[in-house]
Parts: sequence; C-alpha cells; structure tokens
Amino acid sequence: MITRRGFIKSSGMAVFAAGLSGGLPTFVLQAAAKAFNRPNGPKKTLVCIFQRGAMDGLMAVTPFTDTHLQAARPNLFIAPGAGGGGLIDLDGRYGLHPALKGFERLFAEKQLAIVHGIGSPNTTRSHFDAQDYMESGTPFRKGTSSGWLNRLLENGHGGTISPFQAVSLTSALPRSLYGNQPAVAISNLQDFNIQMKGSKTGAGMAANSFEALYEQTSSELLRNTGKDSFEAMKMLQKTDVNAYKPLEGVVYPRSALGNSLKQIAQLIKMDVGMEIGFAESNGWDTHFNQGSTNGTFARNLTDFGNSIEAFWEDLGGLQDQVTLMSMTEFGRTVKENGTGGTDHGRASCNFILGQDVNGGVVYGKLDPLAKENLEDGRDLKVTTDFRAVFSEVAQSHLSINSSSSIFPDWTGTPLNIMKV
Amino acid sequence: MRQRLWLILFVCGCFFVLPAARSDQDTGRVTKRFPYQRAGLSDRQAAACLLSRFTYGARPGEVDKLLEEGIETWFENQLRAERSDEGLNQYLNKYDALDLGNDSILAIYRNPGQVLRLAIKEGVIAPDSVQKGDKSYRSDLMKYMSEKGWKAPQELQRQLVGQKVYRSIYSRNQLQEVMTSFWFNHFNVSATKNICALYIPSYERDVIRPNALGNFNDLLLATAKSPAMLYYLDNFSSVASAPSAKGGAKGRANRGLNENYARELMELHTLGVDGGYTQEDVTEAARVLTGWTVRPMGSYAMGKSASDRSGRRGFASEAFIIDGDFMFAERRHDQGVKNVMGHRFGPQAGYQEGVDLIHMLANHPSTAQFISRKLAVRFVSDEPPQQLVSTMAKEFTKTGGDIKAVLMVMVESPEFWKEALKADKTKSPFELVVGAVRNLNVEIDNPNQIYSWSNRMGEKLYAYQAPTGFPDIGTYWINTGALLNRMNFGLALASGKIPGAQVDLLALNRGHEPESAQAALAQYLSLILPDRVPAINVSRLEPLLTDPNLHEKVEQSASGAKLDSSMDWASSRKKNKGNTPKQPDMLAQVVGVILGSPEYQRR
Repeated sequence: MITRRGFIKSSGMAVFAAGLSGGLPTFVLQAAAKAFNRPNGPKKTLVCIFQRGAMDGLMAVTPFTDTHLQAARPNLFIAPGAGGGGLIDLDGRYGLHPALKGFERLFAEKQLAIVHGIGSPNTTRSHFDAQDYMESGTPFRKGTSSGWLNRLLENGHGGTISPFQAVSLTSALPRSLYGNQPAVAISNLQDFNIQMKGSKTGAGMAANSFEALYEQTSSELLRNTGKDSFEAMKMLQKTDVNAYKPLEGVVYPRSALGNSLKQIAQLIKMDVGMEIGFAESNGWDTHFNQGSTNGTFARNLTDFGNSIEAFWEDLGGLQDQVTLMSMTEFGRTVKENGTGGTDHGRASCNFILGQDVNGGVVYGKLDPLAKENLEDGRDLKVTTDFRAVFSEVAQSHLSINSSSSIFPDWTGTPLNIMKV
Repeated sequence: MRQRLWLILFVCGCFFVLPAARSDQDTGRVTKRFPYQRAGLSDRQAAACLLSRFTYGARPGEVDKLLEEGIETWFENQLRAERSDEGLNQYLNKYDALDLGNDSILAIYRNPGQVLRLAIKEGVIAPDSVQKGDKSYRSDLMKYMSEKGWKAPQELQRQLVGQKVYRSIYSRNQLQEVMTSFWFNHFNVSATKNICALYIPSYERDVIRPNALGNFNDLLLATAKSPAMLYYLDNFSSVASAPSAKGGAKGRANRGLNENYARELMELHTLGVDGGYTQEDVTEAARVLTGWTVRPMGSYAMGKSASDRSGRRGFASEAFIIDGDFMFAERRHDQGVKNVMGHRFGPQAGYQEGVDLIHMLANHPSTAQFISRKLAVRFVSDEPPQQLVSTMAKEFTKTGGDIKAVLMVMVESPEFWKEALKADKTKSPFELVVGAVRNLNVEIDNPNQIYSWSNRMGEKLYAYQAPTGFPDIGTYWINTGALLNRMNFGLALASGKIPGAQVDLLALNRGHEPESAQAALAQYLSLILPDRVPAINVSRLEPLLTDPNLHEKVEQSASGAKLDSSMDWASSRKKNKGNTPKQPDMLAQVVGVILGSPEYQRR
C-alpha cells in the first residue's frame, strides 16, 4: 500500500538521515523546509494545457516567408504587419497570430519557447487515438494503463505525497493522469468541501461525523484517504476559495481555461504541494470557417493567450516555481479546405513558458512547405517527437533523473529547451 | 417451474451441516450447499452478503425474500436471469431508441458538424451567421434537423445512460445487470471515440447482455465481430500488408495491418499480459484478423467506404461474409500462413481462421486463470486467494468457459465466504449511487442525475478512454476528491436534494420517527445495512449525535436554510410533482452520514 502520510515531517527527516551533522549549508535547510513534496529540490509545479481538437500550428505560429503556405491558404494566410491585424514577427521567419500579442513580450524576455513541427510518430489522424497515444505516452500501444504524467509522479518523490500533488481542473481525470499515483480531478475548488445544500451548520456537523468515522475505520485505504481528504479540505479552508483575488491588474478571461488556470494559480499560491496542474482548452477542430485575424480560431486563440498571460502575471514572484507547457494531438492540413477550414493533419506547435526555459527561440525544423516535403503530400511533417519535448521539460523542471519509465519506448535526445 | 432433483449426500467426516445438493438442468452439474456456516455466517448474514456482492444493493425487505426463496435457489435463479421484468419495462418505455438497430441509429442520430455542413450546402443556413459566432443559427439548425427527423447523438447517449441506471435499480435479474457491467468493462469500448459511440447501445444490448451469463467463447466472438469493438480498436481498417494482398493498398493513410485489436485481444480480453505470447504472436494474430470489418451502413459512417475500399470490381461481386453488422472481406484478408503461439492458421481459410483463433484463445489455460482472477477480484477481493482462482479456472476449463458454472463454483468455495466476511471490496461509484437508491427505496424520475453523481466520483459510464476499462480496485476509486463527493452524495440523497430522486425516509421505518439521533442511527443502520458483517462500529459517532443541542442545531440550520434556498426547495418540489415528503432534518443528516461512512463504501 502506498504511504500517503507525513508531508513535511519526512522531507525534513531526509536531510538528517543523509548523515549531515551540524553546519548544514543554509541552502540545504531552506530547500528542506520549502520542499515538502520533493525532498531533493525546491518545490516546482508543471502546468500542462491540452488543446483538444488539434490546433492549427501553422496559423498560431506562421512561417510567413513560406510562399507555398501563402498559396495553399488563400483565405487563411495572415501577413505580418505592425499594429493590429497582422502577424507579430518574431524572428523574420515565424510570426505569432495577432491573438497572441501577450506572448510577444514573454518571447522577447526569453521566457517563452515554441517548438514547431512537433507531433507523434504514429500517423493516426483520429482525435481519439492521437490524444490517447499522446496522453499515455506510448504512441503505438493502446493498452498502456497509465498516463505519462502519472508515471512522472512515480519517478518524482520519495514517499511523501500531498493530496494535491496532481490536480486536474476537469470533471473527469484525463488519460495523462491515469495510474497508481493519487490524482484529483475537480472542476471547481469550491466543491472540495462537505456540502449540504442550504445548511451550513448541517454540513459542518456532518463533516465532524465523517471525520470521526473515517479515523476509526478498519480499512487502511479509507482511513488514510479520509485523513488526507479532511486535511486537504482544511488546507483549502484556510483561505476563502470563493473570494480569491488575483494580483492587482490581472484579469482572467471568463472562460473554462481562464477559470482553470486561475484555480491552478490559487493552489500554487496556497502552497499545497501541487506538482502537476492540468487544464484543457477545447474547440480547436476547425474544419469549417476557421477565420483568419478574426473568427473561430482567433477567438479561441485569444482566450488561450489571454488565459496564459493572466496566469503568468498572477503568479508574480512564484514564476520561478512554475513551467507551463501546451500540447495538442496533431496539426492541420497545410491547404485550406473547401469550407474555409483545415482538416486533420500531422505536426503542430506547442508553447513552453517558464524561467527555466531557454526562451525566445522557435525550436524544431520546418522545411519549405512544398508538396514534396509534406507528409503524404499534404501535412506538415513531424520533425520533433512530442516525447523529446515532454520528457525534457518535465524532467528538467521537476528534477527527475530517469525517463525510461515515463516514456518506455523513447530513447531520443533533448532539444535543450530547458536551462540545465 | 423447473423441477429440481434433491439429492442427499452422505459425507464421511465431521461436518455439522449435511450438504444438500441438487442438479441444475442447464449444466447438469450438481449445486452444493454454500459453505457459509463453516465461515461463521448465519443464514441472514449469508443472504445479505449475496445481495451485497451479486446485486446493486438490497432493497428493503429483500433479505427475507431471498431466504424465503432459499439461498442456493435464489442464486441459481439469478444465474438463469429469466425473471420477468415488467416493473423495469415501465421505466424503459419512455425511451424510443432502445430497440433500434444500428442502421436506424445511424439514420437518426447525426453528428452536429456534418449536419451543419449539409445545412449550409443546402442553403438553409448562411455561412456568415456561423462565422459571426452568434448563436442565432442554432435554432435554424434545430429546425432543419427536426424536419429531417434527425437527432443529436447526445440524445442517444442520454437514453443509453438512462436505461443503464434504470436497469441497475429496477431489474429483477440483478446479477445479469452486474455481469453486463463487468463484461462491458472487460471488453471496454468508449463513447469518447466518436466513430464508435453510436454503436454502443447495440453493443451492450446485443453483444454483452445476452452473453453475460453464457459462454465465454461466444461472448468473445461476439465482441470481436461487433462494430463498436471493430471501430474502437481499429480492426475495421486492418488489411493485409501490400505483398500478399491483391487489392491496391495505395494512398490511404490507414491502409495496412493494424495490430491494436489483436494485441488487446490477447493482453486484455483473454491471456493477460503475462499469458505467454510474444510481439510476433500479436502480429500474426493481427494477420489472421485482417478483413474483419463492419458491413457498409449509414450515410456517413466509415462502413460506407468499406465497399469503396474493397476494390474496383464493386461490392456485389466480392467475396464477403456478412453476419448482422459484421463483415468479413476476403480481399482484405491476408491469405498466407500464420502462426500464433504454435497454432497454424491458413493459408486461405478466410473467416474461419479468425473464429479458430478466438476459440484457441478462449480455451487457453492462461485465459482460464486470467478471467477467473478478474471475476474473483470483482466479487471477492482486490487480492483474491490463489486457491479460489485455481478452483474457478479449473471449472472454466472443464466447462469450456461456462460463466454460470464458474460463478457457481466460486460461491461454493469456502474461500468466498471467508473473504466475504471482511467486506473489503470498495464499491465503485456507480455501485454506490445505485446501491443507495435501492437501499433507501428511492424513486427515480431522472436517472441522469444519478449518472452525474457517479461521474463526479470518478466513474463516467461508457466514457473510460482506455481499453483496459476501469481498474476495479479500491485504490483506484478512493482518492481525496472522490471521497468527499461520496460523502456529499450521501447527504444530498438523504436530504432529498437530488432532483428527480424522491426519498421517503420515514416510510422506510414504517412511518415511525426515531426519538433521538442515537436511535435513528441504530434503526437506520440496520435498515440500510441489514445483517452486515462485520458489525459497524459507530461508537465514535455517538458522542456527536448525543450532543444535547444537536436537534436544536440542526433545526436552526435547517430553518436558516429554508430562507437561504427557498428557490431551491420550490424548484425541486416542482420537479418532484410536489410529492416529496419533507424529511425530518435530523434524520436526513443521520442517514446522510451513514451513506457517506467508510463502512458504506465497502461491500
């Protein structure tokens, strides 16, 4: 049985158990005091955003000098242009969609990196299969029971677990977090409480009763999880979850993603030991009237960019603890289709944000989008395996040495997106 | 009624109980008396135990009814699953999709995106209105759909979920429903995969339920041939690799051999991951199953293009075997010799190769072990005794995969009753919510509310993404968020705050209102968890409940609550047609605490 107890105690003990007697360097003590979730390093949180539906990477970050792309997308292509409406030129070759104007500064400050041409070695163009493979982390195996983020947790800590070590701001646990390590799916932190509609006293009394019952039950699993639950509840109750105020001037979009990231920021600030935060962004399956500077895609991307920007601002001084990474199951066809949209393709791009990131660079390799360079003559080629990026970012940020069990079949080399 | 032959066996030895036995006409085997007394259980406790393991929970008075019927007879009748279910059918009558075949379902339930494209093509909706992002086009779209007689797939999903909740609560063939859930999860398919979602109602109805207490080989073969499985694990698209296939395999991305189904067939459905096969066997098995696909149907389903894929000469002239919705397409089949785990298949034996493969796998000793263990995990313990699993596996092999016989031999084993004593299985969320509804005799008007509570605790029926199905063990179900939701569910149900779930706690106690919270606890514990072993320890709860001010506190908070949530009350009463008797608040609280208690999470 997994030991789920003893947050701060055991990490403090670990330092002494290591045989260091007297004269501990200050940084060791600080680390020990700080890190109750990870005995060997400062506390860190990896935030993942899954863009479900397959984001058009060529529209989010456009290789605008490519004449093939302009020709393939007569209605969708956006040219660079100062002021509103045009692409934001990053480096003379790639341009950010104008909806991502908040990212311009983060890129310039070298906190934001982009990987282009990222995708899966499995060529499926099914949303379901591609998400499944990406989240299980085994692109050719359906039966893998766990998700890569859950396996990440397995590798990470030394037996001390916070009930909030992995939190998904979704109604159901995402495939990425399936597995043996405890992970919580909750769409609203307010719900993390004992509730009796219309009766606060009743709820409080019921909570006391439950706590007493769970303390004495003979089932170890129920007893321990019960204890964790009440402890977690009390952690949250220390602050009024409903009355959360972001930092001055920060406004989160009133969207599902904005809401999720706001709550993730809340948990980070509350110092509850969260190592992984997971959120979703939907609506990327733009087969139809995708739009260009305005329209479906632009609206979605605005929400995506503004939510992330607000989250990042809201973290304030805690930015150094957090790395954020986006992911999507595949990209979309180079050519626009007959209904003003794009169909299922292969490679897309993703974003990595954090102070440990070697930012200000568009990583990956994009050949000119001539037909002969495309996968199956139609799609942006996958030149970077998603596992190369996920494993590097996650391992580096959470200081995990072994990657073999996180991506069992993966032996590639990192892109050096992260500072070592 | 069937006749039963009673035999008295004289057994040398020192058993207190003279084992009675009878033959079961279905299998010709002899049913022994269940050895619960040797484990120290009374008749009542044994009955309660059977109800907690093989049904979705005991309804009030059901222990007595079961004893009247006889413990062994009750179990045999559950295995036979031939009880009439008029009561259930009254609930199911309100759904119009439950009897539809896949052709009709595909014709009626349409993907919204495709409908939208069609509506634009036909000029019913202006492309601009969609681009603007306002919602006005939606009403036009609804109108367009209803004119065509089309409905959204969500409606089918709603009915699928509704019928499952109703069957689980009201079916008299409880074990059949429990086993339907078990096998569905074993042969999991997921509604989250769009092309497979519409086939799930018929998958459960025609493939799983009729075979749930039948023969494992039949069940396995039926799943292999079902559109839901063929789409979910991609075998529908698997064709012989280029050299041995006659048809041109050019251009299409999904052309070629697909191993997904073959792998899960061995790893998850039959042998188990350590069942003695290699990657080579997986590839060979996939070759055997090339050409197993879905017959063309529907106007937009992938199946339609199967005829295109079959070659230039056209559908009619090809060699096909069609059986229901299944199709074997000779042209797509690998004609060569294959070798799976030392068994030779082909050359050129077509469809029969796959049938033989499935038979070989179903009857493999690893399968007997794997399936027996999984059944024991479901019904006995997360870590079932190996002795019990071996006994079951032996029966599995002896009877050629007779599921009834395996379950029977399980309940006839002393290990079953020894483990049952511990009540150490964690109820899954769905078992918990449906069980509470049955235990309290709650009347359900809105089954989707029950479903959504199950979702919140981590079991979203029909939507588990991975082919493994939900891991049916306590450590998977119990985490902090889920546990709080379990407690909150208890409080919400008992206090009548779940819309469409009418609770009458007083009626449960024959209208008698307990005098104190302590009395309520004692009385309702025995009503909700009758004859439970081990006895539930509530000593720590009593001081809280005997607080002299408890009643006052609850009343206060309740009256405050009425002011706070007058709207809630009004609306939930309205939904309940004004019939909901007001629950005494103290009682609701006590019952809510029982339902949320750790002991109630176990069975």
